[in-house]
Amino acid sequence: MSAGSNYASSKLESDRVPDKFPVGMKVLLVDDDLTCLAVVKRMLLNCQYDVTTCSEATRALSLLRENKGAFDLIISDVHMPDMDGFRLLELVGLEMDLPVIMMSGDTRFNVVMKGVSHGACDFLTKPVRMEELQNIWQHVVRRKWLDSKEIERSGSVEEADRGRQVTDDSEYASTVNDGIDCSWKYQKNKRDAKEEDDNELDNIDPSSSKKPRVVWSVELHQQFVNAVNQLGIDKAVPKRILELMNVPGLTRENVASHLQKFRLYLKRLSGVAQHHTGLNSSLYGASSNAKVGQLGRFDFQALAVSGQISPETLAALQDELLGHPPCNLAMPTIDQPVLQQASVQRNNSVTFERGIAFGQPLLKGQAVSSFPVWPANDLGALGSASNLGGLNTSQNSNMLMTMLQQPQPQTVPSESNHAINVQRSCLVAPAKSSNKFQVQGNPMHINQDSTIISQSSANFQAGNAVVPVIQDSAVVASHSSTSMKTGSNLFVTNHRSTILPSQSLTGISLGNDSGLLNQGSIIVPSQPLNSSQAGSNSILSSQNSMVVPSHLSGSSRTDKNIIPITHNSNLNNSSSLVNYNRLPTQSNVMPSSMKQVLDNLAAVDSFSVPVSMNSQVLSSTGSSTSWQLHSPDISISHPNGTHSLVPSSCNIEATDRLLAKLPDKGLGKNLGFVGKGTCLPSRFAVDDIESPTNDLTNSSAYTGDDGYLQNQDIFGISGAVQSGHCATTSFK
Amino acid sequence: MLPLCSRVLLSHPFSPMSLMALREQLNMLVNSMYIEGLLDQQFQQLQMLQDASSPGFVAEVINLFCEDAERILTELTKLVDQAVVDFQKVDAYVHQLKGSSSSVGAQNVKLACIQFRQFCEENNKDGCLNALNVVKHHYYLLRNKFDTMLQLEQRIQAYDSKQQN
Repeated sequence: MSAGSNYASSKLESDRVPDKFPVGMKVLLVDDDLTCLAVVKRMLLNCQYDVTTCSEATRALSLLRENKGAFDLIISDVHMPDMDGFRLLELVGLEMDLPVIMMSGDTRFNVVMKGVSHGACDFLTKPVRMEELQNIWQHVVRRKWLDSKEIERSGSVEEADRGRQVTDDSEYASTVNDGIDCSWKYQKNKRDAKEEDDNELDNIDPSSSKKPRVVWSVELHQQFVNAVNQLGIDKAVPKRILELMNVPGLTRENVASHLQKFRLYLKRLSGVAQHHTGLNSSLYGASSNAKVGQLGRFDFQALAVSGQISPETLAALQDELLGHPPCNLAMPTIDQPVLQQASVQRNNSVTFERGIAFGQPLLKGQAVSSFPVWPANDLGALGSASNLGGLNTSQNSNMLMTMLQQPQPQTVPSESNHAINVQRSCLVAPAKSSNKFQVQGNPMHINQDSTIISQSSANFQAGNAVVPVIQDSAVVASHSSTSMKTGSNLFVTNHRSTILPSQSLTGISLGNDSGLLNQGSIIVPSQPLNSSQAGSNSILSSQNSMVVPSHLSGSSRTDKNIIPITHNSNLNNSSSLVNYNRLPTQSNVMPSSMKQVLDNLAAVDSFSVPVSMNSQVLSSTGSSTSWQLHSPDISISHPNGTHSLVPSSCNIEATDRLLAKLPDKGLGKNLGFVGKGTCLPSRFAVDDIESPTNDLTNSSAYTGDDGYLQNQDIFGISGAVQSGHCATTSFK
Repeated sequence: MLPLCSRVLLSHPFSPMSLMALREQLNMLVNSMYIEGLLDQQFQQLQMLQDASSPGFVAEVINLFCEDAERILTELTKLVDQAVVDFQKVDAYVHQLKGSSSSVGAQNVKLACIQFRQFCEENNKDGCLNALNVVKHHYYLLRNKFDTMLQLEQRIQAYDSKQQN
């Protein structure tokens, strides 16, 4: 026995001696609460870590900057007076690439989610227990591991190397996925890394990591950002960035991992302030602060009837909206955003005026655009959506229209049994319109029309039932990242973001059932990244993305059923109904997409649910592309016969608006392209729009057995581009 | 040795209590605090953290907590007293207090803070006024007991060091 114990103890010792880690691991603890600071410090000391405490985030940051190698791990509180914990987290991630653990007494889902999306490697709930701290060293190890793996793979094509895969996936994922996906990806990373850790525990010695850690100083990061901007975010591959940066000693892997983080970071940014100047005027975003008063729920019909918001109102609203600092959203929050209905109050006709008959019940939400034209239908109101489960598009009665306007993330309170909540935010969400919806049950429709959104990020999370979410963000200065996640049922999301400067990242992840995603993003300079992921059932994602300068990359992935993908989306499954409205501008998207679409359509045989999407894309010609995409009204009919109609309406900019609506009737019909050369056409006649709108309404109301969305095609099935008058004109 | 109870009976409040008696008293006090909900499991963690290398740990944490709490309560009293209450600010302070009370294991105080936050969210001034009083009530109750606890601890430690000398 004694021999045994001797052996055991000596074995332990030998294990410990050569590799003392995690003993002595250097932890920086940041918390403004002195009591908690003392307690956690004591616990860490008892774990045999080296602890440095700091009660101010700013001080912590300077400590970190001064001594880059001084710490292995950072633990930080979320709520601090001088700097938000998440901000610290971001900065640390970008500059120092150190693992950061967040702590908080606030354990709400959205807070934890925020941590995840900002790159925290863990989240501790206060009061922190000793057991939780004992294993935190794993985060240090894991990170070093992943880093070394990247190095090993330098220059090589990705292989089956797990780490590589993980990295690749994350790179890809991070660009296209929303927060939800990020968490998924993060989990995957975690799992993968863990396994690797287990296997190689003996060899781990963090202190002798192969690669010297790169410190991303402010200057270096700036060089990086310059390079990325130069290349264009979608073209920014590590290799090219590296070349452009031309920093000796910097490896591709360093850049790759930094790029990944950067993408994550961008996604969360609320870039309201970053409207491209060109767009500003036309973009909603530029404005001001019109704060949409909170409107109660209005009957959709009434709303529709009431008309649109007057331009002034809209402008005012926009101003208000814009004036608000962007909120960082990225996570679905349980806090429901305040829905405000500006338009309702106003009852004025939107500048659009025009004929766009938006009175259709379906569309709700008037887009408020600085320019005005917001089809009443813009809102992707989903009234139809509300009819989940046999939805009837008619939105009548249940539709609630609420304009959602949010300077900050707003969540729509889930209504239990409410058929439809239509929210329209006519106004531009100044910063990010982050809508987070959480629906526990029942259908919830959220319409967000934000004309200007520096970032329209909507996160939806639906526990079940249907949650249609429509976001119309007219202008997205920055990126519009919308992510939707539905646990089940129908999920309709329309994202329409016109993104001028940046990219629209839309990520949709559907747990099952049908999900409809419309993403109409017009991206002028950059590209919209759309990705949708559907667990099952049909997912219709139509992405209308027009990228003027750049291209759109959209990808949808669905495990089964239909996934209509529009432009740039890869159709993975046989069932795919692609509807997209794309206005091809300079990019020659059309032809290929058309073809693709048609091909897809043809291939869709199992497509039980025809999805017709009318997407209206408005693009303004000229330098400033203010696009408004109308997201198509998509009605997804769930295989089970439920469909959700998601009309999406884009904000139409006054100037040139190209409103393209592609009605999609069943298979094969849909695509209407309006392509007008460089000049985006305002050709899409408003008139044209009108019809679709009408159609949309109708279609949305269509509750056919198969949830067919009939979109009368404005352009006809052939997707002929109709040249019409400029939207602006017509709207005027 | 006499059984403990006898010893306790024999000891006079002002006469020096034996080390064991002191310890006994301390334990009884702490136990009663657990039972009455003044303290929760987190306090146990603190107790466990105190050892030879950090003999004054619990006292240190308690002191930090009390300082913090009193500062916050003062602020809160001012804020809630105003004609127009800035609920966000109030909420921020209550959140702080909630955090520190949870770190030290002050259960009743923590729960009272949670309630308080509810009222803040509802922008309910009266509710806040009441809630503040409840928090204060629990806090001062706790503080008294902490004072006794710390005194006992000090005496115990004095005993120990005396004995070592």
